[in-house]
Amino acid sequence: MKFIIENLSKSFGDKKVLKDINFTFEEGKIYGLLGRNGAGKTTFFNCINSDIPADKGKFLLETDGQRREIKAEDIGYVLTTPTVPEFLTGREFLKFFLDINEDSIKNPKSIDDYFNIISIDTEDRDKLMKDYSHGMKNKMQMLINLIIEPNILLLDEPLTSLDVVVAEEMKQVLRQMKAERITIFSTHILDLALDMCDVIVLLSHGVLEIVDKQDLNSQAFKDKILSALREDAHV
Amino acid sequence: MYKTLRISFSLRNAYRVNGILYSLKQIPIIKKLLPEKIYGVWGLKIFANIVSVIIEIISAFLGKFLYFYLMIFLPTFLITDVVGGNIVSSGQIFVHILFFLSIIGSYMNTFLFDPTRDKYYGIIIMRMNAKRYALVNYGYSLIKLIIGFLIFGLLFGKAYGVPLWISLITPLFVTGLKLTVAVYDLFKYEKTRNATNENKPGVIKWVIVFVLLGVAYALPLLNTYIPLNIAAYLMFIPIITGALSLRKICTFGYYREYYKQILQPEAYQKDLTRKVMNEYSKKLISADTSITSKRKGFEYMNELFVKRHHKVLWKPSRIITFVLIGLILLAVLVLQVAPDSHAKINEGLLNYIPLLTIWVYSMNRGPNYTQALFMNCDHSLLSYSFYKQPKFVLKLFSIRLREIIKINLLPASVLGIGLSLLLFLSGGTDNYMNYLVLLTSIPAMSIFFSVHYLTMYYLLQPYNRDTEMKSGTLQIINLVVYFACFYIMYLEIPTMLFGAMTILFSLIYCIVACILVYKVAPKTFKLRM
Repeated sequence: MKFIIENLSKSFGDKKVLKDINFTFEEGKIYGLLGRNGAGKTTFFNCINSDIPADKGKFLLETDGQRREIKAEDIGYVLTTPTVPEFLTGREFLKFFLDINEDSIKNPKSIDDYFNIISIDTEDRDKLMKDYSHGMKNKMQMLINLIIEPNILLLDEPLTSLDVVVAEEMKQVLRQMKAERITIFSTHILDLALDMCDVIVLLSHGVLEIVDKQDLNSQAFKDKILSALREDAHV
Repeated sequence: MYKTLRISFSLRNAYRVNGILYSLKQIPIIKKLLPEKIYGVWGLKIFANIVSVIIEIISAFLGKFLYFYLMIFLPTFLITDVVGGNIVSSGQIFVHILFFLSIIGSYMNTFLFDPTRDKYYGIIIMRMNAKRYALVNYGYSLIKLIIGFLIFGLLFGKAYGVPLWISLITPLFVTGLKLTVAVYDLFKYEKTRNATNENKPGVIKWVIVFVLLGVAYALPLLNTYIPLNIAAYLMFIPIITGALSLRKICTFGYYREYYKQILQPEAYQKDLTRKVMNEYSKKLISADTSITSKRKGFEYMNELFVKRHHKVLWKPSRIITFVLIGLILLAVLVLQVAPDSHAKINEGLLNYIPLLTIWVYSMNRGPNYTQALFMNCDHSLLSYSFYKQPKFVLKLFSIRLREIIKINLLPASVLGIGLSLLLFLSGGTDNYMNYLVLLTSIPAMSIFFSVHYLTMYYLLQPYNRDTEMKSGTLQIINLVVYFACFYIMYLEIPTMLFGAMTILFSLIYCIVACILVYKVAPKTFKLRM
């Protein structure tokens, strides 16, 4: 499976944020999307998720040589600030979600099995989610995106506001999930990107560009990424 | 001093100008014509600056004019008319009302302790000298007040023959009152360290407001008012205390601390205001653990939503219904004990039904429902792609439509039944269609409002990810609906015709709205960016 972006452009007024992007993402890899503040990472995600209309461009999914346009259900989008319907309990949310997606979920598990995956305590499962902590909400959001097994998983700074234990758990979950899908992970933290991602992609000057690791050691690779990002500032 | 005044002016001006430009950006067609970087366009800035200066002048003079005209001049005229007084009593009533309203104004509108945005920016954010900032602005406001009261006091007072010297001391009296109250608050602060926020008057202050309003307007109706010369002498008291207060106001040393208490960041910082609002929405969710549902899928979620938002949905609807039942029973009682009221009530029911439009409008829970839907449900779920699938959007729309119609229909149908009953008891009608029309037109109106609000919510989805309302179109549509309801209220159409038209209109509107939702909503029902 491949996720192909063709001629994606997006401007706000005179400001061209995405300039005719052509890129192919491949299955089974986690892509680390790096860019300076305001480089357009969130805009890029929002265009893929059709939250904002792109000025131009196509998003295609290629499976076994067959291409088609992506649909809403192909995408899972995990936001920095997790949002969950707070009037429901964790269990109710999962039940509702499983109910309406019963046709599309392969190998459904029991609700408690799902809670176990993301280690949410038994006593918290029947609490209203308005009383959940940030980390618990984040886990719920991740879990929903995990169950739906989206073809494309977009993660916008998903781990930065979590405590170390939850962050580590989430990393494990993401690594387990990466087979059979394309994961694009945006972050400001270089070490996190190097730790998690198979491919580092820079978004600078409105285009995507792979940073080739070749046979650099990790420090040299880091320096290469940093200098590429610094160049951006001189434009 | 001049510099402080200039800075506070430019602060007020800056956010007013940006506010004007921002509102221009919200108007559907105009926003397309405006450039993207609107805040930097020179011509537009000049335009907004001119508007801003006009607002400053208007606030200084038009405000005072309206105050004198609506609150004092007009009531004096009406009261004189009712009690059959002459020009002499008019003058006395005029001064009487002015006297008591000024007391209300002295503590409800102190100027000095008004937590305005420019004070927040100037004193808290930019750390300007709090005392100088406060006093310069206070002085400016008092000068505006004195000029305004002098001009309009003389003008309107003359119309009722108020002696010239009373009109001349009125501005000093009002200023003296304000100064006295300010000094009282300053002393109180020194003692208790509790600042008085004039925008949050407590219960006691409100009670005094109502008592004084009663004294100001009701006493003259009973032909009682303070004699002119006594009022005039009383006016000198605050003038003297006010003059004595000046020193304290100028030397008070804790303006910064005082303002820190009343200028809470929540009111001025957008992100914090939003936080307060989100907290409020969360509080609407019932924590009752006995609430469950045996349904499945969307029906399951909907049932839990409606049950857990009882406080904003069914509870108000039930309260309104009980009040309506009470009113109807009262009307039945009137019909029983006063047979001569029959003809009037009968005529009213057959001719003045348009009056009810605004009632049905204000009973409608649509705005509260859609707001709760967004804040506590869709805001989060719309970030999940599964939720945005067209079939799900439409399925949930139909469930929600059914729900809001049910909630609004309860009071509306009680009203319809009640009015038909009153029509019957007050002598009935030869044309039985009138009953049918009364019975159905009010529920039809109610259904129209239900459909309208939910449809607009789905078509315009006015909020963004930060739970800010972003749609100027929706605000304009809401205004239009409001004024339409108001306009209809004044129409004199027989119940029969009006009812038939309402039913037909509602029916067509609902059909069109639902078709539109089915065609467009899957594209429009998403978070705004």
